Amino acid sequence: MANELKYEWSLAYRVEHWVRVIAIAVLVFTGFYIHWPFITGGAEGAVMSWMRFFHSVAAYALVLGLIVRVYMALNSTFDRDWKDFSITKNLKDLPDMLAYYLFVNDTHKDYRKYNPLQALAYLFIAALIIFTTLTGAALYKGNAFGFINAAESFRWVNTMLGGESYTRIWHFLSMWVFLIFVGVHVYMSLLQAAVNKDKTFMSIFTGYKLKKTS
Amino acid sequence: MGEKEVSKQFLEAFEFQGIKRREFLKFCGATAALLGLSELYIPKIAAAIEKAAKRPPVVWLNFASDSGCTEALIKATYPNAADLVLDILSIDYNETIMAAAGKQSEEIREKSRKAGGYILIVEGGVPTKKGHGMIAGKEMLDILKEMAAPAVAIIAVGSCATFGGVPAAKPNPSQIIGVTEALKKAGVKKAVVNLDLCPVNVEYLVGVVVNYLLLGKLPELDSFGRPKMFYGQTIHDNCERRAHFDAGRFVERFGSNEEALGYCLYKMGCKGPMTYSACPKVQYNDRVSWCIKAGAPCIGCAEHDWPDKFAGFYNRLPDVKLPGIQATADKIGAVAGVATAVGIAAHAIASSGRAKKAGGEK
Repeated sequence: MANELKYEWSLAYRVEHWVRVIAIAVLVFTGFYIHWPFITGGAEGAVMSWMRFFHSVAAYALVLGLIVRVYMALNSTFDRDWKDFSITKNLKDLPDMLAYYLFVNDTHKDYRKYNPLQALAYLFIAALIIFTTLTGAALYKGNAFGFINAAESFRWVNTMLGGESYTRIWHFLSMWVFLIFVGVHVYMSLLQAAVNKDKTFMSIFTGYKLKKTS
Repeated sequence: MGEKEVSKQFLEAFEFQGIKRREFLKFCGATAALLGLSELYIPKIAAAIEKAAKRPPVVWLNFASDSGCTEALIKATYPNAADLVLDILSIDYNETIMAAAGKQSEEIREKSRKAGGYILIVEGGVPTKKGHGMIAGKEMLDILKEMAAPAVAIIAVGSCATFGGVPAAKPNPSQIIGVTEALKKAGVKKAVVNLDLCPVNVEYLVGVVVNYLLLGKLPELDSFGRPKMFYGQTIHDNCERRAHFDAGRFVERFGSNEEALGYCLYKMGCKGPMTYSACPKVQYNDRVSWCIKAGAPCIGCAEHDWPDKFAGFYNRLPDVKLPGIQATADKIGAVAGVATAVGIAAHAIASSGRAKKAGGEK
């Protein structure tokens, strides 16, 4: 069985991925600070102001990143991979993948780009980004993008979740879901690289992955 | 000025009660500022108040509450112009402060109801469980229903009257609801001005009444029926301690040096960032002080679903209540995080086992 290097992630995909990584890292760090300010400011400076500033900037990056990713999924210049995210198809294939991960089977079917678990997880993350953005926007008192009065436009989110204090809780808990996702995501790519020796982990840096040729 | 000047006679009447002309106009100026009107409106406000001296009747209903709002109204440190405006209003019926009692007082209420055209001020939540809240043998809900119809304006004052407040807190055995909800339940379609605070800020009440006397209409309301002019911004955004928040200087403990320095109360559970009210600007008791100035974190009494969704008052976020579980958001996050880490470790160990097995087979 020969393996050959395949160009899996074009530059656009890698940039989009790393922008998202940085955005999530900044959001989590600053978010923890806003939740419970663990650095005390001195006589001068504005720790909290800066944290909130970077939190907003990273939030814009996260939202715009998702919009760009949706565009990439629909545009043929990029991989045009929206069909890979079909919920019905992926749900049908899910047992095969779960059986592999839960040690029932030692092999799994070949999937084009994302295995069903992966595709569903990424779809879930897209939904999570939307949810976190909505709750975040409902807590934001400024003008989103400079012209959307966030507090007014997203008050329905607060109403739906049972008040602004509950929106805060949901916003905070959704961050934990991101953290858990990141943990599992990194683990799985390391696992794949270790077990199959196909350079999965390095592929998000270099773009190249080893593929079986048959 | 063109507008009708305040008559000498009227001001003399004020001076007789110990209020100087200057003070009266100062009050009119403050009210203009409160309502967001230009100073050109000051004579108009003075004239409107003078006109009100013809006593537009007010019916003040007391339901399930501790009468704190009545207290706030009548227990000013010294008589000021704001009190007098409310004195000018003919408070025809108020169970707590009226001299009449029993049958006599019910007759007054009946007379007011028949005459109509009064401003209805409601204090206290409305019990909806039969027999849990009655005055003179009548259900409070029925009293509200019959008094609401002939009123020209309905103002719910205090947290209890607006959304139920403390009496409606869990488990709410009397099934108390706010006035807006009670009227909806009773089938009365009428706008209610919600002045949600515990107790109501008398200056808000004066502001709404003057606004009504001046323009003949109720102020613009937000989605909770609260006047936008008083509930348009969060306490946090206008807080006198905001600079400390932005700089990251917080009180960690009561009795600490940080507290003495007047640092931000965010970590002491201040609900200012999620509470909409003009408290920092208007303050209480003739702008003497207010909660945060006095060193207490905001508990969010101006908000819908207070106090249930704002407890504990000294926690940053309210507890998460799921069936059988009551925990802080921090705890839930930490437990989920640890569970994930354990899961990953277990999977990694099992995977290495599988790799070894595959290696052995080769």
